[in-house]
Amino acid sequence: MSEAAVNIDNLNVHFGGLHAVRDAHFSVRPGECYGIVGESGSGKSTILRAISGLNPTWTGTIEINGIQQTPHRPKSFYRTVQMVFQDPYSSLHPRHTIDRTLSEPISIFRLDRAEERVRSALERVGLRPSFRFRYPHQLSGGQRQRVAIARALILEPSILLLDEPTSALDVSIQAEVLNLLKELLVSSGLTMVLVSHNLAVVAHMCQRVAVMNGGSIVEETTADALRDGRVREDYTAQLLAATRSYDRAAARGLDPSD
Amino acid sequence: MSSSTARPPLLEIANLNVQFHSRVETVHAVRGLSFTLGRERLGIVGESGSGKSLTGRAILDLVPLPGRVSADRMTFMGQDLLAMSAKQRGALRGAHMSMVMQDPKFSLNPVMTVGRQIAEAYRAHSKMSGRQAEEHALHALESVRIRDPRRVYNLYPHEVSGGMGQRIMIAMVLAAEPELLIADEPTSALDVTVQMQVLAILDDLVKERGMGLIFISHDLPLVGAFCDRVIVLYSGQVMETLEASELAQAKHPYTQGLLNCMPDLNRRDDALPVLKRDKAWLA
Repeated sequence: MSEAAVNIDNLNVHFGGLHAVRDAHFSVRPGECYGIVGESGSGKSTILRAISGLNPTWTGTIEINGIQQTPHRPKSFYRTVQMVFQDPYSSLHPRHTIDRTLSEPISIFRLDRAEERVRSALERVGLRPSFRFRYPHQLSGGQRQRVAIARALILEPSILLLDEPTSALDVSIQAEVLNLLKELLVSSGLTMVLVSHNLAVVAHMCQRVAVMNGGSIVEETTADALRDGRVREDYTAQLLAATRSYDRAAARGLDPSD
Repeated sequence: MSSSTARPPLLEIANLNVQFHSRVETVHAVRGLSFTLGRERLGIVGESGSGKSLTGRAILDLVPLPGRVSADRMTFMGQDLLAMSAKQRGALRGAHMSMVMQDPKFSLNPVMTVGRQIAEAYRAHSKMSGRQAEEHALHALESVRIRDPRRVYNLYPHEVSGGMGQRIMIAMVLAAEPELLIADEPTSALDVTVQMQVLAILDDLVKERGMGLIFISHDLPLVGAFCDRVIVLYSGQVMETLEASELAQAKHPYTQGLLNCMPDLNRRDDALPVLKRDKAWLA
C-alpha cells in the first residue's frame, strides 16, 4: 500500500465514552478525489481531523505518502497536507486582510518570494490581485471560500482535506466553488479527500465514495454505482432516495430517530 | 372544496415593495411583488439577497428598521393589513400567521426546557392552566412525530439535534393553529433524511389543517418537488411564477440557471453550469 497518498487502517476515535469512529479503513490514490458521505454525527469530519492532526486522540494507522503518522505532527507535515473548513465566515481571521492571512503560512515556513506566492495563489482560485487588501467582511461567501482554498494551497501541499467546503454556500455559489475544486484536481494533480453530507456533491467530485453511519464506514462504492442506484446497504439507499428529491412515500419510510 | 372557494383567498399581495434608505443610497430589496395564496404550498426561491426572506417578514410586519414596506394591497383572510396598526398586526402574528426560522439553535430560548417553551406558547394564545398547557405541549410534540414526548419535554435546546430542534419550532408555531405558516429555509441546516421528515410534517399540516404555507428556500429542485407553485425572485423582482409540475419547462434563464447549477445524481457533468445574472432582467 506504499503507493497510496492517504492510507487509513483500523482507525478508531473515542471522545470520552463516545466511540466516534469505528475501525475505519480506506486508501486514497495520488491524484484522486475520495469522498466520504454521511449525516451529522456519523464521524466523517472526525476522520478528517484525525488525518490533519487536529485531533490527537486516535488509535490505528494513518499513513501519508507511505509514512506512518503519530498523533503529533512535525511542522513539515503541513507542507504536504492542508485542510479547507466548512464555514468561510468563521475560518478566516476577521481583522486580518486577505494578504496577511495568505502571508502567514509563508512567514511561518520562512519561504522566499512571498508576494509572488500570494499573487499566484489568488490567481489559482480566480480572484483579482486587488483582493489582497480587503478584509473578509468585504467579500461574499463564495469569495471567502476561495480565499480559504488559496490559504490551503499557498504551501503547495499534495493533499487537500475538504470538510463540507460548500455546505455554507448558496447553490449558485456552490457551483462556482465545486468547479474551482474540480479544475484544481485536474490541472494540478492534487489528492483530495472530500467530506460532505450531500451525495450529489460527492458523486460530482469523486470516483470512489465511502458511506458512513454511526461512526462506521458501512459501504465503499463508486459514483457510477450511486448514479445507477446500485447500492448494497439499506442506509445508502435511504440516503440516495432523500437526495434525489422530496417524495411523500419515501419520507414516510424514514424513521424519525430521536 | 366548494366551501373554500367561496372564501376570500388567504393572502393577497399586490405591488409589495421593501426599501432601505440611507444617506448615500436606497436599496430596493423587494420590487413590486404580487401574488395570491390559497390553502396551498407556495415556494419562494432565490439566492441570498434576492429579497425572499424580506418578503416573508413584510407579510408578518417584521421588517427591521430602517426598512420601509409599501404595497397597493395586502389582505389576509379579507382583512386589510395596510390599514392595521402595529398593535393589530402584532395580534395577528403568532395567532393567525407564523414563521419558522432557519436555525433552531438561535430561535429557541437556551435556558428554558423546550417543553416549557411550547407550553408558554399555548398559554400566550389561550387561557389555560399550566397543566393543560403541558398536556397540549406534549400532544404538539407527538404531532411532529417525536417518539418520546415526555423525555423531550424536559430537554434544553442544546440537548436536541438540529432536526428535532426544527420539529420543536414547528410544534411551537402550531400552538396557535395559524392559518398561514411562513417557513424561512426551515431545512437548509439539516441532513437530507431529516430534511425529508420535516418536509413531510409540513406537508401533513397543509393537508390536514388546511393551512397555507409559504416555503422560502434557495434550493429550487427541492421546492419544485415539495410545493404546488413556485415564485422565482432575483434582486427582489419576480422573474417567473410557475406551477411546480412545469418547472422542467421553465423559460427564464435565471430559473434554468438555478435548476441546473446543482450537481445532480442523474446527470454527469465535468463542470457545473454557473448562474448568469443580468441587470437587464430588472424592469
